[in-house]
Amino acid sequence: MIETIASAALSESANSPGWFLVHSIGVGMGILGLVFFLGTAVGMVRFPDFYTRMHAAGKGDTLSTMLMLAGFGLVMMEDFSAGSWLLLLKILGIVLFIFITTPSSSHALMRAAFEDDEMPLGEKDLKKLRKRGGKPSAR
Amino acid sequence: MKRTAFILVLLIGLLLAWAARDFPAWGDPHSPASSSAVSSHFIANTGVDTEVPNMVTAVLADYRGFDTMFETVVVFIAGLAVFSILRGGPNRRTRDREFVVDFEPDLIVTNTVRLIVPVIQIFALYVLAHGHVSPGGGFQGGVAMGASFILIALSWDLKTALARFPIERCFTVAALGIVIYAGIGLLSMFLGGEFLDYAHLAKVFPVSPEMARYHAMLGVEIGVGFTVTAIMFALYAGLSTDGRMRDGL
Amino acid sequence: MGASLLVLMIPILYRIIMGPTGFDRILGVNVIGTKTAVILVIIGTLFDRVDMFVDFAIAYALLNFVGAIVVSRYFNRTVPLQEMEKPKPRRRAKV
Repeated sequence: MIETIASAALSESANSPGWFLVHSIGVGMGILGLVFFLGTAVGMVRFPDFYTRMHAAGKGDTLSTMLMLAGFGLVMMEDFSAGSWLLLLKILGIVLFIFITTPSSSHALMRAAFEDDEMPLGEKDLKKLRKRGGKPSAR
Repeated sequence: MKRTAFILVLLIGLLLAWAARDFPAWGDPHSPASSSAVSSHFIANTGVDTEVPNMVTAVLADYRGFDTMFETVVVFIAGLAVFSILRGGPNRRTRDREFVVDFEPDLIVTNTVRLIVPVIQIFALYVLAHGHVSPGGGFQGGVAMGASFILIALSWDLKTALARFPIERCFTVAALGIVIYAGIGLLSMFLGGEFLDYAHLAKVFPVSPEMARYHAMLGVEIGVGFTVTAIMFALYAGLSTDGRMRDGL
Repeated sequence: MGASLLVLMIPILYRIIMGPTGFDRILGVNVIGTKTAVILVIIGTLFDRVDMFVDFAIAYALLNFVGAIVVSRYFNRTVPLQEMEKPKPRRRAKV
C-alpha cells in the first residue's frame, strides 16, 4: 500500500492536495502543542503549590512536546525518499523517548518532594489563601 | 554576599556580550579564521586526503592526532588523580560521614531506566561511529555511554552498577583505549611513516591510503570512546562516595 | 513556532527565578529542557540540516532525563546523620 502511495506521490508534484493535507495536519498538531504549552506556562505561574504546578508541568509539557515534534516531522516530509523517511523515524524516536522519560522524571521529582516533607496545601491553607485574595504565602 | 555575586556575574556577562561585538560576522569570508592559509588548505584537501566529509573529525583525529592523543591521556590522568586523592587521603576524615543514604530503588524509575539504557548505548555507538559524517566522535559517544552507567548507578544503587562495571575494570578499559590509540600510531610508525601517519597502514590492509586514514580515524575514535566511558563512570563512582565505592548517592 | 515557544518560556523562567522551593525551580528547568529538543529541531530548518540537529535533540532529551533523575536522587536519598540518630516521626501528607 505504501508503495502505491509513494508511486502516486512521485508521479505528481510535491504541491499536490495530498501533501497539502499532510502538511496542514502537521501545522495543526504544532498549533495544538503550542496551546497545551500555553496551559503549562499559565499553570506554572498561577497554581498555588508545588504539586499542582507539577500537575500542570508534567502533563502539558509531555503532550505539547510530543505534538509539536510529531507535527514538525509531518511538515518536514516532502517526498518518500529514504532520507525523508529516516528523518521522520528519528523524530518519532524522540517522541517515543520523551513519552517514556518525561513522565518518569516527573514521578521521580514528585517522590523526592514528597519524601523531603514538602506538604501539599490542605483545606485550611486553601481557606487562608481565599481570605488573602489567592496570593500564595511566602515560604 | 548573594547580591554582590549577582552584580559580579551580571557585570561579567555584560563584559562578555560587549566583547562579542568584536567577533567577525557569521560566515564572513574575510574573517581571520576563514582567510588564513591553513583553513583553506584543510577545506580544499580534507576530502581528497582522507575521504571524510566532516572536516572537524579529520582535523581532530588525523591532522592533529598527536594533540588528541594527549587529550585522552589528560582525561585518564584526571580519573586517576581523583581516584588516588579520594582513596589515599586521610581515612579517618572520610570515615566521619555527614550523611547516610536512605536506600530504596523506585519501581517506576528503575523500569524506565531498564527500557532506555539499551537505547542510550546504541545511540552512543551511533554517535561514535557516525562522527565521520555528522557531529560526534569518541568524546561525545563516550560521554553518552558513561551516562548510561551513571543512570544505572542513580536509579538502583552504586553496587548494582559496580557489579556490571567494576572500578578495576574501569581503569583497565581506560588504559586499553590509550593503548589502542597509541598502537595505531606505533603501527603506522613501524610501517615506515611517522607516528600517527595513518596512510602507511595501507601497506598491510587491503585499502587505498585515503581509506586507510578513514578507518584508522574510526579506530582512534573507538580508543577515545573507551577511555572517556570508563573515566566518566570512575569519576562518578569516586566523587559520589568520597572514594569509599559503597553507600554512595 | 519557535518565537512563540520562546515567548511562552518567559512565565517558566519567572517560576525558576522566583520559585518558593527548590523543586519549583527544578521543575521549570525540566520543562525548558524538554522544550529545548523542539527548539533544536526548529533551529535545524534555519541551517537546512534537520537530520543533523535531530541527533542533538536526542542527546538533549537524554541529558534532561539524567539531570532530573540526579536532582531527585540528591534530594531523596541523603538524610543528615543527626536526624538518623534521633529518629523523629516524619511528617506525611494525609491522602
